[in-house]
Amino acid sequence: MNNANSPLNDRGDNFFRMKHFLLFSLSLFLLISCAKEKIEEYDGWGFYKPSHFPEPHYKFEKNNLTRARFDLGRDLFYDPILSSDSTISCAKCHAQTHGFADHNVNFSLGVNNSIGKRNSPALSNLAWYPNFMWDGGINHIETFSFAPITNPIEMHETMSNVVAKLNASSYYKDKFKKAYGNPTVTDQNLLKALAQFMALMISAESKYDNYVLGKTTFSAAEKNGLQLFRTHCASCHTEPLTSSFGFANNGLDSDFTDDLGRGLVTQDPNDNGKFRIPSLRNVSLTYPYMHDGRFFTLSQVLDHYSNGIVQSSTLDPSLGIGFNFTTQEKQDIITFLNTLTDQNYLANPYLSEKKK
Amino acid sequence: MKNLFISAAFVVAALSMSSCKKDDDTTPTSTTGTVEINMAHRWGNSTTNFLLNMELVHPMTNDTLTFTTFKYYVSNIKFKKADGTWYTHPESYFLVDLSTSGSEILSIPNVPIGEYTDMEYTMGVDSLQNVAGAQTGALAVSNNMFWSWNSGYIMVKAEGTSPNSGSGSFAFHLGGFMGTNNVVTTNSVNFIGNSLTITGGKTSEVHMIVNPAKLWHSSAPLATSSSIMMPGATAKTMATDFYNGIMFDHIHE
Ligand code: HEC
Ligand code: HEC
Repeated sequence: MNNANSPLNDRGDNFFRMKHFLLFSLSLFLLISCAKEKIEEYDGWGFYKPSHFPEPHYKFEKNNLTRARFDLGRDLFYDPILSSDSTISCAKCHAQTHGFADHNVNFSLGVNNSIGKRNSPALSNLAWYPNFMWDGGINHIETFSFAPITNPIEMHETMSNVVAKLNASSYYKDKFKKAYGNPTVTDQNLLKALAQFMALMISAESKYDNYVLGKTTFSAAEKNGLQLFRTHCASCHTEPLTSSFGFANNGLDSDFTDDLGRGLVTQDPNDNGKFRIPSLRNVSLTYPYMHDGRFFTLSQVLDHYSNGIVQSSTLDPSLGIGFNFTTQEKQDIITFLNTLTDQNYLANPYLSEKKK
Repeated sequence: MKNLFISAAFVVAALSMSSCKKDDDTTPTSTTGTVEINMAHRWGNSTTNFLLNMELVHPMTNDTLTFTTFKYYVSNIKFKKADGTWYTHPESYFLVDLSTSGSEILSIPNVPIGEYTDMEYTMGVDSLQNVAGAQTGALAVSNNMFWSWNSGYIMVKAEGTSPNSGSGSFAFHLGGFMGTNNVVTTNSVNFIGNSLTITGGKTSEVHMIVNPAKLWHSSAPLATSSSIMMPGATAKTMATDFYNGIMFDHIHE
């Protein structure tokens, strides 16, 4: 998991050297008194760029990565205190065992059992996302959490209330002090801490990754599935992140009144019915599928791409009338998609709920 | 060599000490003064003060309106000296909120002494800050001036009740920082021969008149449109009419 060549690790090392240098001059205490920006060493925990990944989009600018900030973000992610009636945490709709997607339900239940019209997506490699949500409406990982916290059908809380609740908790005041040098909770620090937790959700150790890195071999079916994937799917589900993060209409509907998708954000009718191309990492576990969770199995997804494409004016031309796959081809693609499951990610102890 | 390191270390220590100190130190020194931009709110062409929770009639649409919320952003304030050089106040983002008294006075410390002939200010929040992640102060999301589901600042928020709107209420959330929907407007004021003098340690005042009725200068009455929740052409018309209606009144030194 370690990658000593990462630029962020270099920063950590430099800092470490500088720390010794200052210790030497007996002025360490000065540093401690303002060590809000302390960057810790990589010890299995930390941010790294997998060698086959592109440069991340989020680079922790103005939010230097520290263990204390990450830990705070992790606590917040698992704490229902962020919701108005303290019943719903982020993890309620984003479960680690399912690639941080909600499992088995097409629509998650929020506060007061309210229900939305979009499926909770799987979360991984978020530091590489240029935008968030099925319609791409959110442009920054730091402002992201403002949306679920305040959405009436999710956590239904106000930012000022969350801040007040956290300020009344000695546990969190201590955590914020450790993270930001000041026990007073602010919405900015809350959002930045959650961003650190999210940015460290790195999934890059699946069988597929090991195959790409030459560390393992694929069976004949997996190889054939990858070949078909590269021919028919990878123009949108671009490797290695399995998404280009663009927007496309993949032929689910011809009437978009239920959800305009990207058109809601751009107000351009040419974007109606287009959705942000999802990452397929851990896809075997993130069912149900699509923005409205209409398909419960990968087999249904493959039937869709094979013979279920609905024609409409915004349909992506690359999908034509469907790929008309044979049963064997569908099976091989699914066999390949299963190689995107990353057991180390699903069991990563740093990303699971911490016992307080 | 070792001695060199030690002295270098002391320099670093001294630097880190001074960088630890929060420089909220805005006490004017003899070489700088403070400018207070006073945003006085008036309704229509009259001398009626604009206040929340007060019934008002629009001079053009004849709608009866009672505002419960009126908030907007002013940013990036600059002053031009008589010699043509500019002083730019760093990080100046102000949220004027009619429910928070004092927020209508934009206080700008540390302006170098001298004679200033012009002022420039931006109505709204520049595009950079709309994509910069979690902010603090006037730009904090807890001010409820940020769209959660379609990232970007709400640059003008006007809400209230009216018997003329179908629902009995109105809500205009105006913003947009991209392409044709960009509402951010930079205005300039020439002090017209009557320059602004900044004297060391003193406060000079610039008085502006803000007229919320301008929102409907060229937009439809509430019976036609009583709610805007996202960027778009109507939002742009309303915001720019409002911004362009802001007038310089006088200087008070
Ligand atoms: C009630 C269920 C629910 C809760 C609680 C919830 N989410 Fe979500 N999450 C969703 C849904 C549904 C979406 C997709 C919404 C959309 O696209 O409009 C989503 C989308 C996301 C995304 C965007 C993923 C992508 O592919 O763009 C991230 C990141 C995320 N949530 C993180 C969080 C965090 C952090 C929290 C807690 C602060 C949280 N969620 C709380 C249901 C939930
Ligand atoms: C034209 C671009 C495009 C192509 C080509 C494409 N997809 Fe997709 N895919 C999408 C979009 C967009 C979505 C989300 C659509 C929605 O929910 O409305 C999606 C969703 C999916 C999902 C659901 C993921 C989830 O978490 O809900 C799977 C699985 C999937 N695609 C697999 C494939 C496979 C396999 C192929 C090749 C046979 C393929 N896709 C080809 C654009 C594409």
